[in-house]
Amino acid sequence: MYQFNWRPVFESIGLLLNGLALGIGMALLALAIGCVLGLAGGFARASGPKLLRFAVAAYVEFIRNIPLLLIIYFVYFGLPLVGISVLDNLWSFVLALALYSAAYLIEIFRAGIEAVAKGHIEAGKAIGLSRLQIARHVTIPLMFRVVLPSLGNTFISLFKDTSLASAIAVPELTYGAIRINVNTWRVIEVYAVVGMMYLVTCYAIAWLLRLAERRYSAVH
Amino acid sequence: MTASTRRAFLRSSAFGVGAGAAAIAALGGCVGPGPGAQGASKLHEVLKRGTVIVGTGSTNPPWHFEDEKGQLVGFDIEMARLLAKGLFDDPGKVQFVRQASDARIPNLQTGQVDAIFQFMTVTAQRAQLVDFSIPYYREGVNTLLPKSSPFSGALDMARLGKRIKVSILQNVYAESIVHAAMPEAQVLQFDSAATAIQALDSGRADAAAIDESTVRWLVRQNPDKYKAGGHGWSPQTYAAAVRQGDPTWLNFLNTVLHEAMTGVEFDAYAAAFYKFFGVRLASPPVGFPIEFGARA
Amino acid sequence: MDALMTNFPLIMRGLAVTLEVSLLSLLLGTLLGFAGGLAMLYAGPWLRWPARAYVDLVRGVPQLVLIFAIFYGMPTIGAQVSAFTAGVLALGFFCGAHVSEIVRGGLDSIPRGQSDAAKAIGLTFRQRLRLVLLPQAIARILPAWVNTAVEVVKASSLVSLVSVIDLMMAVQQIVGRTRQTLLLYAVAAMLYFLINYAVSVVGRRLERHFAHG
Repeated sequence: MYQFNWRPVFESIGLLLNGLALGIGMALLALAIGCVLGLAGGFARASGPKLLRFAVAAYVEFIRNIPLLLIIYFVYFGLPLVGISVLDNLWSFVLALALYSAAYLIEIFRAGIEAVAKGHIEAGKAIGLSRLQIARHVTIPLMFRVVLPSLGNTFISLFKDTSLASAIAVPELTYGAIRINVNTWRVIEVYAVVGMMYLVTCYAIAWLLRLAERRYSAVH
Repeated sequence: MTASTRRAFLRSSAFGVGAGAAAIAALGGCVGPGPGAQGASKLHEVLKRGTVIVGTGSTNPPWHFEDEKGQLVGFDIEMARLLAKGLFDDPGKVQFVRQASDARIPNLQTGQVDAIFQFMTVTAQRAQLVDFSIPYYREGVNTLLPKSSPFSGALDMARLGKRIKVSILQNVYAESIVHAAMPEAQVLQFDSAATAIQALDSGRADAAAIDESTVRWLVRQNPDKYKAGGHGWSPQTYAAAVRQGDPTWLNFLNTVLHEAMTGVEFDAYAAAFYKFFGVRLASPPVGFPIEFGARA
Repeated sequence: MDALMTNFPLIMRGLAVTLEVSLLSLLLGTLLGFAGGLAMLYAGPWLRWPARAYVDLVRGVPQLVLIFAIFYGMPTIGAQVSAFTAGVLALGFFCGAHVSEIVRGGLDSIPRGQSDAAKAIGLTFRQRLRLVLLPQAIARILPAWVNTAVEVVKASSLVSLVSVIDLMMAVQQIVGRTRQTLLLYAVAAMLYFLINYAVSVVGRRLERHFAHG
């Protein structure tokens, strides 16, 4: 009968909590950068010149069909070989995750942009707003409500994907589990606790998002 | 339709799924403890079988790795072949089971393999679970440095304290090994030797802390890319391992290893030693047995 | 470039392992997924709640943690699994959780009227499922299932982190020997892209096939 011994896990709970916080932080950063890229790409795909639309579509198709791990290795090991070595492992991971999330966010924002009724855009043009102003004051606020659920789901996915940062020794939650395990071999206890931490966090985020959605889904 | 027929349908399909899922899971490998041989020694079992099953890894040159044709080669492999030769007079009569490091002890305990040759460090904790043979190599840790590195070795780098980054394979002693020579260095643990060395190649780490033997091997393979640090530390004993409670089998294994290092099979041992570590061994002296200390 | 040529067989073997892991996980996951989806919709509470718990649990935990938990956890309870098996099991459970939701959603979205009409003409539950509900649900299930298949192929790269020599690990080892980092990563990306592209193409063809009726 397996003898459970939870002590080594709880002695290192600080390590795990720090790792969890780091994971959430990295996911937020990646989401932020990804949203910037996603908005730009979304507008490009919705209303840009043909060549740009094609380039963005190619990017999206390519990134969505290759493993995140490969992108991480490419950024972390590959970029220094072409001279870009300013990013440490944490920022390399954030960049990789941002590039990955952008591929999904571009599509999300594109759908959101296209969902904004033409009437609103026409109205904006009629009162003399420039294209950029229309984007800022009409499209983005209106689409926000539409894309919020998808953004939320993307964020939850990104948070789970931060576990891959352990592959390049970023001290997030999964790396913490590896370090505890490797020193104490309390595998079942460690992964039970770590799994629970991921699970609870995902549910907390989902719950907060439901609150946000209810707050923002005013009926027109 | 009633609820009971719906439930019956689901029960039968659940059974079908369960059977299908079990079949699929079994396709990938074995689950469950293997049978153990009680009473008779494994030596006789192996002799009767005609091949010896040896557990080893496949991703760690120069011990056990694949050449371009995908064949397993390495020092551990050569040792296993010596065992096969001792059993059957034929170094080819060995079947290798590739396993990850943490499967070494479980595979031995469940009888999946007859012996392990997988650069296994002898520790008291492990000795509680398996029987170790006599050592066939003494290992240490050294730093692999890029050829252009301004440092000469671990002691040199220790002066820079926290600014030094060292990559290492994930293992039980990772942090303490690095800190033994460089007390304040940052330790980056990676899932495989390949990744740990890539960290060095891409400048992510200033040094890779790996086995002395692997450092020697890599420098030998790529003298223009790497150099070995001048300071080796953390002595370890490498031995083969067998399942506990079988003194006949263990004694046989020890005899094979002993004669490889000091007796009739010395040439084969020395050839492997040179091939994989680049070191020429002096022939063991004749006369007084070497085991009891050198005499003039 | 000739680093690529000499190591071509190793890349191909890694590719074969990636395909094996992906296929087996997908098979296991699809079977589990159908069982789970049906259980969540039609079973009594003793089956429904465990199915729901399974789906919610697996979806809240990263795939890498699932793989590590099974690979490192099984030996401590006595069961000896190879890294390959652990990977297939973990990815199969992951895939099963997603497919359960997809199947549940697909079946649930069919208007009640269909089911009622079928009951009215005397079809048993099994017949209703086989002749009326599933054929219509397949059309809705397929696109999401294809997405899941692509995710499984991508997730198969994680088994390299438990030293299974799949495409990712093979590439890492070759990079370690030849230093042709960017070239090999590009090759790996292309191969993964081709696999997933093929999956999407097959998926679209299947969708067209099931779209009538």
